[in-house]
Amino acid sequence: MKTDLKSYIKIYFMLITQDFKSKMQYRADFLISLAAMLATNFTGLISFWLIFRTIPAIKGFSYNEILFIYGFSLLASVPMQLFFDNLWQLGDYCMNGNFLRYCFKPVNIFFYYVSETFDAKGLGQLAFGLIMFIYAWIRTGIPVTAGNIAVLLLMMFGASMSLIGLMIMSSAFSFVSLYGNSMMSFMIRFRDYSRYPVSIFNPVFKFLFTFIIPMGFLAFYPSLYFLRPGDHNLMSLLTPIAGIIIFYLGYKLWIWLAVRYAGTGT
Amino acid sequence: MNEIITMTNLSKTFRTLNRHEGLKGSIRDLFSRDYKYVKAVDSVSASIEKGSIVGYLGPNGAGKSTTIKMMTGILQPTSGEIIVNGLVPYRNRVENAANIGVVFGQRSQLWWSLPVIESFKVLKEIYKIDTEVYKSNLKLFNDIVDLEPLYMKPVRQMSLGQRTLCDIVAAFLHDPKIVFLDEPTIGLDVSMKSRIRDIIMHINKLKGTTIILTTHDIGDVEALCRQAVIIDKGKMVFNDNFENLKNRFGKYRTLRIARDPKTDAAMLDEINEICQNDPAVVLNTQDETKDEWFELLINEDKTPLARILSHLMNKYGVKDIKIDEIRTEDIIRKIYEG
Repeated sequence: MKTDLKSYIKIYFMLITQDFKSKMQYRADFLISLAAMLATNFTGLISFWLIFRTIPAIKGFSYNEILFIYGFSLLASVPMQLFFDNLWQLGDYCMNGNFLRYCFKPVNIFFYYVSETFDAKGLGQLAFGLIMFIYAWIRTGIPVTAGNIAVLLLMMFGASMSLIGLMIMSSAFSFVSLYGNSMMSFMIRFRDYSRYPVSIFNPVFKFLFTFIIPMGFLAFYPSLYFLRPGDHNLMSLLTPIAGIIIFYLGYKLWIWLAVRYAGTGT
Repeated sequence: MNEIITMTNLSKTFRTLNRHEGLKGSIRDLFSRDYKYVKAVDSVSASIEKGSIVGYLGPNGAGKSTTIKMMTGILQPTSGEIIVNGLVPYRNRVENAANIGVVFGQRSQLWWSLPVIESFKVLKEIYKIDTEVYKSNLKLFNDIVDLEPLYMKPVRQMSLGQRTLCDIVAAFLHDPKIVFLDEPTIGLDVSMKSRIRDIIMHINKLKGTTIILTTHDIGDVEALCRQAVIIDKGKMVFNDNFENLKNRFGKYRTLRIARDPKTDAAMLDEINEICQNDPAVVLNTQDETKDEWFELLINEDKTPLARILSHLMNKYGVKDIKIDEIRTEDIIRKIYEG
């Protein structure tokens, strides 16, 4: 019995609508965490604004252009927040052995695991990022054409996939070490650097953010396509492909380690 | 024969690092290649018939859950063969999973935040349960254990008993051929235990579902199982009809003698002496100062109970006695202890 794509989608929608409904029952909890999320984003923006009030431009990037990259990074993080939040729990599930319960159903283990939560807080981040991004888009004067919007969606897809892929990879450390979560926190710190142009970093970090921990694909490279349209930067064109490759590698690593873990842990 | 699970020389060896003590040891462990190999399951051969309820027993760490994991396909055997439902579980995890149900007493398989009926609906989709089958099964379970009042309650808010009940129903929902129950009655009160035994018994009779039950609760085994498999330190030490388990040690009797303050000390000395001279007699009394009875476990094959009794009666006079057959618990303990 193979579960086809249609039933996977159906199961997924059943689960997330239910999860959403049950979270709504805890209205206070939902509102407080939403407020906390907005506050975090807001303070991030303020410190960003304070820095750039004194420095008008970095390496040829104006305030508005960097805001564009920042907004892009926020938006590209939304799918991770909305759909893959359960990865953060993986460390606990592995430590107390509860992960095993995901192994007995005739569905894909990764799907089964991830489908369990839908983090509605991500909607707050979506709204915040959207406002910021649209503002930056207008200020930088990028033409609003059907072509640009299509490319934007494609780039956004690639950028989200690469973040999700990286987070899947780091969460997979939970299967082999007791400190899987710290690997994820480590990765999230790197994500914060993605808000700045990769070209401002020294060559070592540039290499690191492009090839080792490819956070460059989360915002900077895709943004370049819009901010420096004449350059035809190879890296920015590679964003969608990089996203798919990183996601695929992360997924494969995760499944491989999950199966090994299920065999040994009690 | 109608076998649904066959295991032939099934073994699983784990490799673990030999750990050293102290900080220095931990640092050495980082680079150590000094592994030891532990045989969690050691050439177990057994077969389980379709439609039977099998008690799978053994002390903690005996290799029970390792075997279950191999049966469910999440663990690959080191050597030997295992066939479940005509499939090699490790190579066909997904197909195998469609034919089985699994319940872990302490870990719910249901979605934590969902009302249980919603969980059932998702399971209906996952297992592609036919709507008619789904409805009739729900009705059936409802008739056996009244479940409907729980439908709208999220699993998170349920008591352990309610949760276990729902978990068991969820495991049977898709008419699986085999259901694995791992300590389903752990931590439950007496009435809930009996409800759970009821539902297992009922469905087994009605649908012919094969049930593999691991438990430490002998009551479960006595109430449900026809076949018992006992493993210890990875080796199978017993695999037979449950009745034969009793016959195998049937010659044991427990003799209880009422204690009398006047003769108590002398009698205790005497009994201790008998026990020392005759290994067929064992004094089971737990607390020598409080218990009202001396409890002697006697192997009648070697020493007739009557001889001990008459000896003590003649010497001290006895107010009251009780004679019991050996309890299943004692049998199992004897097997564990070798």
